[in-house]
Amino acid sequence: MEYYSSLGLRRLQSRVALFTLLYSFMNALSATTLYLLGEVRVDVYVSLNILAYYISYATLRPPTSSIRVRVLNGALIALFIVIAGYRVYEVLTH
Amino acid sequence: MDFIIGYSSQRLGDCNMISRLLILGLNIIILATLLGAYGLIVGDNGLIGVSASMGLVGGVLVIYSSAPVEASTSSLMSYTGTLVNAVTSTLEDLDLLDSNICSIRKRDMYLLVFSKVPCPLRVDPGIGFTGGSPYLAIPIEPLPIETPGSSSELSDKAIEDQLRSILVDELSICKSVRVESESGLYRVQISGLNEQLREYVEYPVDPYTIITLSTITQITPMNCTRLINRVNIPDGILLVTRVEEVTE
Repeated sequence: MEYYSSLGLRRLQSRVALFTLLYSFMNALSATTLYLLGEVRVDVYVSLNILAYYISYATLRPPTSSIRVRVLNGALIALFIVIAGYRVYEVLTH
Repeated sequence: MDFIIGYSSQRLGDCNMISRLLILGLNIIILATLLGAYGLIVGDNGLIGVSASMGLVGGVLVIYSSAPVEASTSSLMSYTGTLVNAVTSTLEDLDLLDSNICSIRKRDMYLLVFSKVPCPLRVDPGIGFTGGSPYLAIPIEPLPIETPGSSSELSDKAIEDQLRSILVDELSICKSVRVESESGLYRVQISGLNEQLREYVEYPVDPYTIITLSTITQITPMNCTRLINRVNIPDGILLVTRVEEVTE
């Protein structure tokens, strides 16, 4: 039992920790770059963050079947659509 | 043989990692709030953007810290494999492959019983004879669930909520659970089974049946939950159970 437990824990740590690491790294990189470039639009930071989340998610596939994670995925994609939609609307109306 | 003990110890093992992730996420949210406040004060929209991005990272970490993890399924599969092998061999030796399966509450103990006698109460953990038939009784650790009030009639919703909480939210071994009651029978439809655990549905015992029976026994005032029928349906399993009060 202990063997299986430690085996499971190691797998958990590697998957979730790798996802966390990749997502945080990509986010730190994008936020720093945008700030140094003088970007002042908040939605650009957020949308790049969401992209970083989905890239990390698709690459490492952390636990997916949980309701909380599914709700988070839905909320993030909805937020991304709203941001992209707003930008498209802005381009079309100017 | 103790099915739930393995799951509990695995959850304890996860606590370290999960709580560290939670603390990290909360810390990032606090830092992001402070940075955002500073950005507002100095009127730097770039800093507000950075803080919004950091806050999102913190939120994601907090959600992942509370989400069930893949290791639960991995460990559950190992325990299920061990349990199924042991139980199947024992049932073959006892000629109980076509036996009744029920979950009973005996004093403070919960037992999963395989016997040709429906709902035998005169059983002890292990192997024995009752009513002229052999039986196999496996002790089940009570699940950490909230017991509803002492109403004699158990609502479909209460069972559905508890099963969803354990199977979908806690263990993530299926996608949905639906419970309907019909003339004293509870029809539990479990859909979107985990690919790795699906194969065990063909065996005499599987995690879905064990958890369903033990959960119903635990939240009902009756002392026996009997599996009447188990049918494989597309993308799931249908369990028909009956809750009974049995006296010795």
